[in-house]
Amino acid sequence: MALIELKDVSKLYGFGDATSVALDEVCLTIEQGECVAIMGPSGSGKSTLMNVVGLIDRPTHGDYHLSGKKVSRLGGNQRARQRRDKIGFIFQSFNLLPNLTAVENVALPLLYKGMPQGRRTKKAWDMLERVGLGDRGYYYPRQLSGGQKQSVAIARALVNAPQLIIADEPTGNLDSNSSRLVMELLSEIHKTGNTVLFVTHNPELTRFATRVVYMQDGAIKHDEKTRLGEVGRYARAVMYAVPETTEEDDLAGVSLLMSILGKHNDSPAPRKRTSHAKTKDRKTTSRRKKVPE
Amino acid sequence: MSLRSENLRLAYRSLQAAKARSFLTMLGIVIGVMAVSLVVGIGQGVKQQIADGLKQFGKNVFVVQPGRPQSNGALFAGLAGARSSDLLTAQDLKTVQKTAGVTDAVPLSTASGSMTGDYTVQTPFIIATTPSFPDIVHQPMLAGGFFEPSDGSKAVVLGMQAAQKLFNNSTEVGQVLAWRGHRFMVAGIFDNFKAPPLSMEADFNDAVFVPYTAAQKLSGGTLGIYKILAKSHSSRDMTQTISAVNDSLMAAHGGSQDTTVAPVSVVGDTSSQTIHLLTMLVAGAAVIALIVGGVGIMDVMLVSVTERMYEIGLRKAIGATNQQIMRQFVVEAFVLSAWGALLGVALSCAVVGLLRAYTSLQAVLVWQVLVLAALLAVVIGVFFGSMPALKAARKDPIEALRHD
Repeated sequence: MALIELKDVSKLYGFGDATSVALDEVCLTIEQGECVAIMGPSGSGKSTLMNVVGLIDRPTHGDYHLSGKKVSRLGGNQRARQRRDKIGFIFQSFNLLPNLTAVENVALPLLYKGMPQGRRTKKAWDMLERVGLGDRGYYYPRQLSGGQKQSVAIARALVNAPQLIIADEPTGNLDSNSSRLVMELLSEIHKTGNTVLFVTHNPELTRFATRVVYMQDGAIKHDEKTRLGEVGRYARAVMYAVPETTEEDDLAGVSLLMSILGKHNDSPAPRKRTSHAKTKDRKTTSRRKKVPE
Repeated sequence: MSLRSENLRLAYRSLQAAKARSFLTMLGIVIGVMAVSLVVGIGQGVKQQIADGLKQFGKNVFVVQPGRPQSNGALFAGLAGARSSDLLTAQDLKTVQKTAGVTDAVPLSTASGSMTGDYTVQTPFIIATTPSFPDIVHQPMLAGGFFEPSDGSKAVVLGMQAAQKLFNNSTEVGQVLAWRGHRFMVAGIFDNFKAPPLSMEADFNDAVFVPYTAAQKLSGGTLGIYKILAKSHSSRDMTQTISAVNDSLMAAHGGSQDTTVAPVSVVGDTSSQTIHLLTMLVAGAAVIALIVGGVGIMDVMLVSVTERMYEIGLRKAIGATNQQIMRQFVVEAFVLSAWGALLGVALSCAVVGLLRAYTSLQAVLVWQVLVLAALLAVVIGVFFGSMPALKAARKDPIEALRHD
């Protein structure tokens, strides 16, 4: 049974002539254990899709089944309980409550579950430990760096042991170091069996995904399975001017990508042809090293 | 319950985060509670004072006043008595005295004129009465005694304030004052009359008591009496005595009912009733103040809810139900109004203490009213506080998150 099943889900805003379509009859099935990257230009409906899947927004039409249960027409409180028990949401702007300490922020979902204070705090500390902030529990959000804030937010999303983690541009406000930290955390979560759904503008981050979904004008334009550590094929097309391959790129697995690209001449990445020759030479050695895992 | 204590903690924090605003809101409730409890407290105190003032009359004392009795008893009769044409006469006094069952009757008349005391000239309130006045009005003396029949018409008795004014704070007996060219000797000085400040009774503290006969002579033969205080044989047969007095006065006046005879307690009751009425009226206004305080809380909660729409959206996004959000804000409103009520009660106590210490108003704390006002404040605060909370709780999480 699929974890997420969207059938002809639409989301409309406004009325009459002013109607705008945020989601246009989207069908999407996501199995337990997938790590899905959602890409697409601004206004393509990525965030709306996340909000609908995360049960913080309602679809105008269509059916949504979450782990077999129809949730598209649930009332406010039932949706709240579904969110609380099944979904962990990570926002671009962290959304920590400024007047609560890190550990209190993490414990918040447990509070709404009705867990007693002692157990709540202990679980929250364990979770902070897991995201590497075991020594920052008593800090307030303003005393933490962006990456640390997002780590706290991830700990909060995880604390209820949800099946589904939804991250709406989790690295959008972070520098590259913090982004890596956050994405590594997310992929760790994925490896422990959670389903992860994340929106990103950065094609590099599709490496962490097992599947990439491309959206445009509220519809899914392309949907592909990728391997971990691999940038999605369409993602490559929208990558910024790829620099000449360097030793560092090799380490990051870029050379491998290039070699794959060489094989698929139909792939929409014409700009990279110049580097083909160079990467082809290393193909055999690097592939063996990079692919597994 | 953990959620409840968590909510309390949250409420304290968010109120602390907006100290000035929270304080101002609380002020509305504080003032409301204070207004209610002080108004009732002062009213109650005044009533108590009137009751105390009446105690100086015996239980078997009744009053004769000019004017036809109204349905409201002696209250308006007393006002009617202010018309000089309707005063009682010395003849009426005799009629009362002669009626069976009446053991004693003293007139109270006012006379005019200035009095020259020790270097000072004053125009005190001059009351002409007879030597048996202290038999009916039990009032301790500060010095000396009331004038006796043997003193003839040359002795006066002073109220405490009058003595202070005329004789420069000296309370010695035997000093001499002049009134209308005659010299009078001070026979005694009354201790402070516990005259109720709001009663229509003349302020005896500022009065000079002169013998009725002397005053009559000096005012040219006739001196109207505004009130006759009389005493029946015992308190049991007072009703009979009163109707007997009424009958004999009617007979003397040719059958017309133009005087009012009533027990002192009734006179006191009517003024108590007036004060009670006034108290209720002002207390009603104070309750409105309290409700306005509640509206103030609604204002703050509305601002608080709007300011924290994002927080509400987030809390809902991570799984808070509408009720849980609602509870958080209700607890906040509760904390706000409960502190306001407590502060109001504390301040009322302080103000009542100050009033008792520094003014003649013997205000009292009516604990029922304090409790009621505090409870009302909390109920009003929570009621008005919940309305914005309800609005907040009903928001869709995405709507609340987008709100800016």
